Amino acid sequence: MNAKIKETILNPIFKGNPITVLVLGICSSLAVTVTLKGALVMALSVIVVTGVSSVILSILRNTIPSRVRIIVQLVVVAMMVILVDQVLKSFEATYAIDKQLSVYIGLIITNCIVMGRIEAFALGNKPWPSFLDGVANGAGYGLILIVVAFFRELLGSGTLFGFDILGRFGYVTNNLVILPPFALIFIGCIVWLQRSIQKDLQEK
Amino acid sequence: MEYLSLFVKSIFVDNMIFAYFLGMCSFLAVSKNVKTAAGLGVAVIFVLLVTLPVNYLLNEYVLKAGALSWLGEGFADVDLSFLSFIIFIAVIAAMVQIVEMVVEKFSPSLYSSLGIFLPLIAVNCAILGGSLFMQQKDFVNIGEAAVYSLGSGIGWFLAIVSLAAIREKMSYSNVPAALKGLGITFITVGLMGLAFMTFMGISL
Amino acid sequence: MNTNSNVYTVIYTTIVVVVVAAVLALVSQSLKSRQEANEKADTVSQMLTAAGFGTKAEFGKMGNAAVLDKYASVLGEAFTINPSGEKVADLPSGKVFSPKELKALNYIIKDTEKALEAELPVFVFNNGCTVVPIYGAGLWGPVWGYLSFDGAGTVTGAYFDHESETAGLGARIKDDPSFQAEFRGEKPVWDAPEESHIFEIVKGGSPKAADGSEVLEDGRIDAITGATMTSNGLSDAINVWLRAYKAYFSAKAAVSACSIQEESCCCSGCEKSCCATCPCEKCCTSDDCKVSCGPECCSEQCGCCGEDCCKPNEVEE
Repeated sequence: MNAKIKETILNPIFKGNPITVLVLGICSSLAVTVTLKGALVMALSVIVVTGVSSVILSILRNTIPSRVRIIVQLVVVAMMVILVDQVLKSFEATYAIDKQLSVYIGLIITNCIVMGRIEAFALGNKPWPSFLDGVANGAGYGLILIVVAFFRELLGSGTLFGFDILGRFGYVTNNLVILPPFALIFIGCIVWLQRSIQKDLQEK
Repeated sequence: MEYLSLFVKSIFVDNMIFAYFLGMCSFLAVSKNVKTAAGLGVAVIFVLLVTLPVNYLLNEYVLKAGALSWLGEGFADVDLSFLSFIIFIAVIAAMVQIVEMVVEKFSPSLYSSLGIFLPLIAVNCAILGGSLFMQQKDFVNIGEAAVYSLGSGIGWFLAIVSLAAIREKMSYSNVPAALKGLGITFITVGLMGLAFMTFMGISL
Repeated sequence: MNTNSNVYTVIYTTIVVVVVAAVLALVSQSLKSRQEANEKADTVSQMLTAAGFGTKAEFGKMGNAAVLDKYASVLGEAFTINPSGEKVADLPSGKVFSPKELKALNYIIKDTEKALEAELPVFVFNNGCTVVPIYGAGLWGPVWGYLSFDGAGTVTGAYFDHESETAGLGARIKDDPSFQAEFRGEKPVWDAPEESHIFEIVKGGSPKAADGSEVLEDGRIDAITGATMTSNGLSDAINVWLRAYKAYFSAKAAVSACSIQEESCCCSGCEKSCCATCPCEKCCTSDDCKVSCGPECCSEQCGCCGEDCCKPNEVEE
């Protein structure tokens, strides 16, 4: 049992990473990775939403009529997302970040990771493993987000978390890295790196 | 003239994929060959074209602050905009369900080749994103909303078909094993995105 | 139980929808006041930044209550004017304009018919600065902000905000204090004809004479490299709104000077952080501050002198 839980937690973070292996949840990962702070808040929000909505739907799994399954899932996920959005807006510390993420917080609803994990895992498992699976997938997603944001903020603005790092060495910022296409190119490179290490993931 | 400029702008300048990177999941997954890609593209155009005007009306007459004033004086202060995510996504889910039934009946071959991705249109960020942008852009009438939805749909269609065409050609190229498939696709999309950025300077 | 029967499906969906709607309505109601307080404090700190009472970052650290207290203590009067520059009515106490309200006003200003009946807000602070809002479309979404003027209609400060401009490029209108500092001392061309700009953000900014001493053109700010569309959008927004305020500022010319324009003691006695908000750009040590700051230093715009010279008992002297 322990080994299984460990597997549930560790698999999504590297071997079955939702972004680089399952190709889920790309949209939001591009827009929020310009700054590390934005990426971190987005990662935490997604972890909360995947974790809690997995639990709720796992509890409800035997009662949901199959014909309206998708709608019920979406409604529960949407509720969680609105709650996160409302809470972020309510605290002085997070208000500014919520303002920055604006539309993309809403798009967590359609973040395929959330729906994908509910379909594939939560509807067939007990609440506790579902919770772990949701949180771990959120974390795997967050990990990629933070790695990409690290490079984009460092190379694009010369800063990390807003603190000047490269600027003091006379680094001229590269505006190209700030543009959204570069998030894709960075993710492409991460995929490249991962598949060089894990040969079994390579496509023929 | 207004409509034409909005139309061209929503196809090229505000392209869902290359400017906002919305709807990436199915964009990356269903772009292996041109025929299926075109099928999904048409489905997306259709769903956008139906849901956006419906959501526009809902937003205008139910959700917006003061939108309920047509019910009487007492409702003038009601602001239901916190419900917009849920309402929008419910409309989208219902529409997708209808499209699915129609496609199954009239084109079984397209239905089977789209497979899981038809229901996944419901969680295609481009659709919900379209509705959220509509809310943000404040169109003055339903005509503008409809033109915008058609334009964004066609933009998405163009994007997925051109990526599919590139990927068909690319299958004959010598790509490093670890980069094959997903990795090189990410980088290709990134480069296409950079190319589309050149439209941004155009004022219409 | 048969979970696929029609009755079950209908009842189930109804219950889910009702429960979800109830939860959301409850949360939204209970958090509404906090959210509005956050938004208001944010708007207020933008106006205070423009009027030269500190930097946005400082206000961010102060917390909502302190920001609102500060605002209440330094606001002289707040009223609305019509496009002819005449005062229409006082604004209710503590009233600020959220981006949503500015958006509504923006529609009115741009509509040639409705514009004649527009009621535009003016905030006069007790340091003599007059703050007015601007609003328009950037590259991805709306941009807005506040410009502060002295009595002669010269810009003394600016703060801009945006909804979704590209971070690191267009977003610099908000994040880059040096861009906002460029506005200081710039005089809009109030009598510009319809077809040219009262104020413009263009590549290169104001052309200068060969020796760099004389500015050849007023009301020109250097655009942000790599963010042409955002700069253009902001430029249009400022231009449209200032045109609406034109009559007001033309009529008011040469009344009170906005006091942060003067060499106040604050500027000769402050630490580096002060220089961001003081126009005289002298940086000095806190020792200087003690010597050169008299009681008048402790007026609102000198908050930057810190405890060194602004002890309450000295204020009373």
